[in-house]
Amino acid sequence: MPAGPVQAVPPPPPVATEPKQPTEEEASSKEDSTPSKPVVGIIYPPPEVRNIVDKTACFVARAFSLLVISDGSCPLFHRLEEVPLEVLRQRESKWLDMLNNWDKWMAKKHKKIRLRCQKGIPPSLRGRAWQYLSGGKVKLQQNPGKFDELDMSPGDPKWLDVIERDLHRQFPFHEMFVSRGGHGQQDLFRVLKAYTLHRPEEGYCQAQAPIAAVLLMHMPAEQAFWCLVQICEKYLPGYYSEKLEAIQLDGEILFSLLQKVSPVAHKHLSRQKIDPLLYMTEWFMCAFARTLPWSSVLRVWDMFFCEGVKIIFRVGLVLLKHALGSPEKLRACQGQYETIERLRGLSPKVMQEAFLVQEVVELPVTERQIEREHLIQLRRWQETRGEPQCRSPPRLHGAKAILEAEPGPRPALKPSPSIRLSPDAPVPGSQDKPKPPKQVQKEQQKQAKASGQLDQAPAMGQAEAVAAAGDACPPQDLPPKDLAPQDSAHHRSQESLTSQESEDTYL
Amino acid sequence: MAETYDFLFKFLVIGSAGTGKSCLLHQFIENKFKQDSNHTIGVEFGSRVVNVGGKTVKLQIWDTAGQERFRSVTRSYYRGAAGALLVYDITSRETYNSLAAWLTDARTLASPNIVVILCGNKKDLEPEREVTFLEASRFAQENELMFLETSALTGENVEEAFLKCARTILNKIDSGELDPERMGSGIQYGDASLRQLRQPRSAQAVAPQPCGC
Repeated sequence: MPAGPVQAVPPPPPVATEPKQPTEEEASSKEDSTPSKPVVGIIYPPPEVRNIVDKTACFVARAFSLLVISDGSCPLFHRLEEVPLEVLRQRESKWLDMLNNWDKWMAKKHKKIRLRCQKGIPPSLRGRAWQYLSGGKVKLQQNPGKFDELDMSPGDPKWLDVIERDLHRQFPFHEMFVSRGGHGQQDLFRVLKAYTLHRPEEGYCQAQAPIAAVLLMHMPAEQAFWCLVQICEKYLPGYYSEKLEAIQLDGEILFSLLQKVSPVAHKHLSRQKIDPLLYMTEWFMCAFARTLPWSSVLRVWDMFFCEGVKIIFRVGLVLLKHALGSPEKLRACQGQYETIERLRGLSPKVMQEAFLVQEVVELPVTERQIEREHLIQLRRWQETRGEPQCRSPPRLHGAKAILEAEPGPRPALKPSPSIRLSPDAPVPGSQDKPKPPKQVQKEQQKQAKASGQLDQAPAMGQAEAVAAAGDACPPQDLPPKDLAPQDSAHHRSQESLTSQESEDTYL
Repeated sequence: MAETYDFLFKFLVIGSAGTGKSCLLHQFIENKFKQDSNHTIGVEFGSRVVNVGGKTVKLQIWDTAGQERFRSVTRSYYRGAAGALLVYDITSRETYNSLAAWLTDARTLASPNIVVILCGNKKDLEPEREVTFLEASRFAQENELMFLETSALTGENVEEAFLKCARTILNKIDSGELDPERMGSGIQYGDASLRQLRQPRSAQAVAPQPCGC
């Protein structure tokens, strides 16, 4: 095994060197060689969650179209846009490669990641991808045991009361949240309570519940907690704090941006004196989770996690433009109330996944424009209402900005091979010596197959198998000296960076 | 879709989180209990045309988020409301205790003349009651509010609450106490809206509102 790259890797900070008894666990997991064996701190949803996560897309979409139709408020005859299985498998393997070599992809091929987020993250990997993109995964690595600690604490009764009242009101048609006291509602309680302990000065805001619920549909509670933290602190800082000033400011920014995107809609709304808060509060605070059809929610969130709040603005602008953007459309919106009703009963066509995503991707509203407008509106706010009371940290526009703002060295996000090799781990057989990369890779696949993850359908490709293996194996408890897989990752990523390039033909 | 009505009233539904505001609205509009409702973030809407004392009135109802921190946002919805349902939960003293603050908001932000009916909701949960009828009716009297105990679950007194509020506003219009012509009264004459609905507009799409709300 070449020594060069090993030395080039900076030693991870102390946090990472303290996984609870990594060697023992490793030994045991190696012996078992089943990825289903739960190991501390891993991304491995319990079977019941796993079941649901696997079926997420179709399941939820069905539940939601039911919800919407039975509700009568907005008949979305919405069909899932099926991605051909072959394409899906291809995407999975591409995503798997990215996730396994995340830092490199972020550093060198960020545009590609963005493009792939725009095309939609494969459902089987969505939860993992969101954790990587948001930096929730890094947070979790930096704070091992923190969630458990918060989870054990009693919590402020003032918040617990409000949270409990909301538990049965999140996506009540979703399988996970349907039963009172069921595991979905329990996890929701744990995540939201943990947040009030993590940020006691912010406490609980009702709009956090749908956000947390969507996260929980894709990952276990601890991971969902850290993703929620990232959303509240990095993506949308101030949205959920006491005075909700940030959301009011963004309302003004949205309205101002609308002037360029759709002067007709802008003029109409300002003539009718419709405060942006009347239509955008729920849109923005819930990141459209309660507005759009489910498949569109997921696609919007894929882009949002990668590109940040810009996506939320763009979605809002696209919706406004299509609802109120022409004189014909405005004919039925003579009054303030009619206009708001129109915005609440948006046309299913506009919200439909492919159309919406295309429009959002093409809408030329940039981070810079948003930031510039932010300054203008902030100044206006200061002139009219004085200093904002809530000083939120600056918002970070997406995955790359978050990564770059991460202070100090951090453990590299590394691949999650099924077999983690530690040179000093007392393990049987030849496995106590680092393997050359290819062998590791093979081993990984073999193991995935052996674990029975592949037995469901013959159509299931290698990608799935590796996905399963990758999921089962946490990168965060890689011991510091475990550099062999890192090395292999390096090699593999080099390969992938070049070889995947030409194959990227989907969509 | 042209609806005929004599008046249009803007109503608010306000009160603490989890008191059943949205369920009251849903029961009133749909005549059934909303089993699986989301909590309100920002504002929800509903409208229904009712017959009150021989007049047809369109109620335009704005249902607001109850959590304290949304108040800074929901305030912008209050303007120009003619009536309000002020809701608390008879099984939660806490929601009753915050009534005074909600009332102040309504009178300062909507209009000092806003007609408010106090609704003690979840009447069906009698065994868990924390606020007595007597206590609440005293509060109502002291603050010049009408008062009903309601159940969004069974529908008891729900329709009555909205109608009672509307009737009082109509009476005040008749007696000259309320002037629909005044800006921000939360009241509009129906015929103006009718004209707009019946005559398709030509070139210009937008007309300034006859009323300032």
